[in-house]
Parts: sequence; C-alpha cells; structure tokens
Amino acid sequence: MTRPRHKARLQHPAAWWLWGLGLATAASRTTNPVLLLLVIGVCVLVVSERRDPATVNPLPAFLVIGAVVVAFRVVMTALLGNGIVGDTVVLTLPRVPLPDWAAAVRIGGTVTLESLLYAAYDALRLAAVLACLGAANALASPRRLLRYLPATLYDVGTAVVVGLTFAPQLLTDARDVRAARTLRGRDGRGLREMARLTVPVLETAFERSLGLAASMESRGYGRAVRSTTTSRRAATGLALAGLVGVLAGLYGLLDSSAGGVLGLPVLVLGAVLAGSSLLVGASRDHRSGHRRERWTWTETVTVLVGAVPAAVLVVASAQGWDGVVPSQQAQLPAVPLLAVLAVLVAATPAFFTPRPREVAP
Amino acid sequence: MTGRRVIPLRWPAVVAVSVVGLVGLVAFTWPFFVTGDFARDHGNDAPWLFAVLLGLLAVVCLAEVTAGRLDAKTIAVLGVAAAAGGGLRLLSAGTAGLEPMFFVVIVAGRVLGPGVGFVSGALAVTTGALLTGGVGPWLPFQMICAGGIGLGAGLLPVRAGGRAERWVLAAYALVTGLAFGLFMNLWFWPFLGTNAPSGMGFVPGAPLSENLAHYGLFYLATSLGWDLPRGVLNAVLVLLAGPALLRVFRRGARRAAFGVPVVFDAPGSDLSTPASLTPAEPRR
Repeated sequence: MTRPRHKARLQHPAAWWLWGLGLATAASRTTNPVLLLLVIGVCVLVVSERRDPATVNPLPAFLVIGAVVVAFRVVMTALLGNGIVGDTVVLTLPRVPLPDWAAAVRIGGTVTLESLLYAAYDALRLAAVLACLGAANALASPRRLLRYLPATLYDVGTAVVVGLTFAPQLLTDARDVRAARTLRGRDGRGLREMARLTVPVLETAFERSLGLAASMESRGYGRAVRSTTTSRRAATGLALAGLVGVLAGLYGLLDSSAGGVLGLPVLVLGAVLAGSSLLVGASRDHRSGHRRERWTWTETVTVLVGAVPAAVLVVASAQGWDGVVPSQQAQLPAVPLLAVLAVLVAATPAFFTPRPREVAP
Repeated sequence: MTGRRVIPLRWPAVVAVSVVGLVGLVAFTWPFFVTGDFARDHGNDAPWLFAVLLGLLAVVCLAEVTAGRLDAKTIAVLGVAAAAGGGLRLLSAGTAGLEPMFFVVIVAGRVLGPGVGFVSGALAVTTGALLTGGVGPWLPFQMICAGGIGLGAGLLPVRAGGRAERWVLAAYALVTGLAFGLFMNLWFWPFLGTNAPSGMGFVPGAPLSENLAHYGLFYLATSLGWDLPRGVLNAVLVLLAGPALLRVFRRGARRAAFGVPVVFDAPGSDLSTPASLTPAEPRR
C-alpha cells in the first residue's frame, strides 16, 4: 500500500473535511467514554502525522476548549445538580436557601456519582466532536475549501479572500499606529485609545482595498463568471421555491398534527431545490488553476474510512447496542468491539495518505 | 432611510432574507413549541439538522442578495468589513467571547444599507472563523445572527449624521449584544437536556411557560455574565468611535463612488440607475 517514493503533497481538503465530519457523526451518536477517548486519540494521531504545515495547528485549542467544557460541566453539576437521580453519594455540599420562586433550582446539596458521570460522559461527547472539527481544521485549512464555492458565490468568496488577506495586515497596522501613539507619550491602553485606533487603521484598510478594487477592475475582474438574466431568474425562482419548501417541510415536521409524514420529504426537496439554485445561477469559465488539487485513490479511501465509524455507530445507536449509551454506574461500561474497530479504521489515513510537503522552518 | 443602498434589496432578496430569518427563528426557538414526543425522539438530531439546513440557507441567501450585483468596489468595501470583523475576532479570541466585532458590522450596515449589513455580518463571522480555525456547527447560527444584526442596523429609523444616531446605535449595540447571546445559547440548550443544572434544563413536552422560565434561569446563571460585558463593550465602542467610524465608512463609500449613474448602459443590462447624482456623503 505504501509506495516508497510517494510524492509529497497536501491531500484534497474536501477529503479531510468529509473524513472529519464522518468521525464527528460517529462521536455524536455515543456517550461511551472509551469510544470517545478513542475518537480523540485518532484525531490527535492523524493530525500529528499529516497536518497542513503551513498554518498554526488549531487542534490544541480545540482540545483545550473540550477539556474546559468537561471540567465546567462537572463543576456546574456538582454545584447545581442535574436531572439524574442516583444513590452513590460522593460528597454533600452546604445547601444555599433560595426564595420560593426559584424553588426548582438548587445550589449545593448532595452530589451523586451518577449525576457527575452523566455530565462527564455527555460533555466528553461534545469534546470529541470538537476534536474531530479541530482535526479537520488542522488537516486542511478551511480557506482552501473556498476554491470550491459554486460560481454563484464567486463574488462573496472573493470578498472573504480579501478579508482574510487584510485581517492580519489590519492587526499590523493597529500595532504600528499604537507604537506611533506611544512615541507621542500616550500609553495606548483603555477603551478610548482603542477607539482612537480604529480611524487610522480603517482609513488605511479602505485605501488599500480600493486600490485593490481599482486594479481588479483594470484587469477585467468579473469576466470569470458568466451569468445571464435568464439563468439568474431561474436561480431566483429555484431558491424561492426551495425556501418555501423548507419552511413548509419544517412546519410539517414540527407540528405533527399537520402531516408529519410529509414533513421530511418536503424539507429535503426544498433543500435540494435551494441548493441547486446555487449551481444554476451562474457558470464559471474554464480556467487553468494554480496548484490544482487532485483527487486520487487516497482521497476516496480517506472519505470511506471516515464513513465507516459513522455508519457503524448510527446503526449501533439505532439498534441500541450494549455500551453505546452506557449507564451511569460506577463501573467500566461495556465496550462494543465492532464500534472500537470501526473507530480504529478511521486512524489509517495517518499511514496511507501522502505526506504533506515539508516547509522550511 | 439613508438613500445609499450599495446592494439594493430587490423583492426576491427581501423574500429570501425573510424566509431564512423565519427558518432561523424556528431553528433557535423550536424547543419551546414542539410536542414532547418529537423532542424526545429528535432532541439530539435537531440541532445538527438545523446547523446543516441553516448553513445551506445562509449561503443561498447570500447568493440571492448579491446575485450579479457586486462590482469590484463593493467587494473591496465588503472585504474591509470582513477583515475588520475577522481581525477583531482574532484579537478577542483570548477574552472569552467579548467580541467587539459587532460594532464594525453595525456601522457598516448603518452606512451601506441593510443588504451590505447582512452580507458583511455573515462574512465577518465567516472570516473570523476561517482565521481562527473555528469552523463548526455553530457557524451557520452565528452567520444568521450577525447578518441579522447588520441588516437591522441598516433599517434603524434614524437620520444619517444626526446627533441622535450615535445614541441610537449605542443602544442598538447593547441590545443586540444581549440578544446575540440569548439566541446563540438556544442552539445547544436542548442538547443539555437532563444534564443541565436542575430547574434550568429543557423539559420535552412541558408547557411553554415552564420551558421559558427554565431557559430564563439558565440564561441568567450561565450566559448573562458574558453577554452583558459584550453588549456594554460594543455600546461603549460605538459611543466613542462611532461618529468617526461612520465618517470613515461614508468617506470610503463616496470614494468608491457608489451611486454614480453608469453612462454606457447597454439595453437589457440590469445595472440599476440610481436616481440621485449627489455624492454619498451629505456633510462636508
């Protein structure tokens, strides 16, 4: 499977994102801590082997947020309790008396192991989903996906790219202006100073941005997208029909007295119509691309191994396998072997995918 | 009204924005009016469903609002708004959600009209998420909320350049800062279910008043501490920097020469010809 002289390249970003979403779907279906920790481990492994070296690794930040979520939820549960009744008392906190109107709320009181475990398992699930998203962000910077926006959104995509390019420059400008103000004897702290910064910084940004616009216009920007009045009208019609369909479908879905069976199909139909309006509205001239990304067998296999745990755990939670949603007892939960194997399969992209290009440090 | 609509909102765009707003409202408030059975069966799927749905609809809405009407200069101005929003997001990443981003969105929407307000709000959030690597299921909800904030700022009934504008915008920043948190909590609140602190969780099938009371307590206990400082920060920033920033944006809009009629109008071209020849900035 591994060829000795595999050409170093970045994998297609869509493949990594689909892989991450598959793993996130799997994580969202279970509260088994073993499976969830395994998912997080898979994310860390794949990211450490194959992350995009051009950007700062966002995964640690996601992991920290996940850890904070778990800690916060456990502490909040200890202080405020939750809806789980248990009989294994861990400790008893002094209870704060509250007035009658807040009778449903309790602060302090007995803390049971069951409620703590439930909170921790549930928070761990969120942490695992966050880890999957962080992994996707780290493996393929989402801005590389901007290239695949449909032609209808070409303008909006350009605005985002302009924003992405200028935002770091804005920060540099702000630092410069602040340094200049410090030289003049202001300490550069406080809200008022921050407000003073905005004017020169934004003036510069407009200056630069309008210069860019002028150069874009003089180079015939906008030729890349072809759209006719007819195609735009068709797109508008499709979009409006789709939106109405979505609204009707939602109504049917949420209000079961109004034909709940029809709700989902109408909703899906509406979403498909609305989505197709993006494709109909304009078409893009065929352009030669710089560093065009390729889709080879590694991309296909990456997406497939991401879909495996999602499929297994969706089936597992639908059929109620033992251990997918463990009980909150003070014991190790049962671990479904098939689910563990499915999650482990998702770790294989760390080995068979091409290595990302090395960048000089 | 300001009379300077950089992206004029035509009726399909108005309908699209309204319907997406309605779907967004449902996506946030569904826990309050669904039946108990639905909530028990789908409470765990619904937030994901709505995240996907809102993502799609937000994109469709952006396409409808901007369809074929963005020239290079509009893109440049939107890029500045997106960059300012994203840059402020980068700065505030360490300060627990004290996002001063909204004040740029509010000013942009105020000066450039509701259409640009919506687009720049959505794009500022997207740019911030792309810069910080924070793309996730919360992004569509944030896009709708921030877009709505920009749109609303464009629709505020105050005279442009007046003395009242500053105070109205500051009040608007405070209110939207609070409302943003109020709505954004709702997307994950039903997730917590029985795991929320007792008396603050979502109870499937309970009457509206009970769930509202629970949510109110939840908001007071967990979220208000972040939302109030954010609202106040944005309001203070609008008060301090608002007038100057409004002038910067108006000057930028005038230099981009929005609203100057296009002379070489080909028949059948859809470039709208604005009625007035006056430059974009009335004062100075």
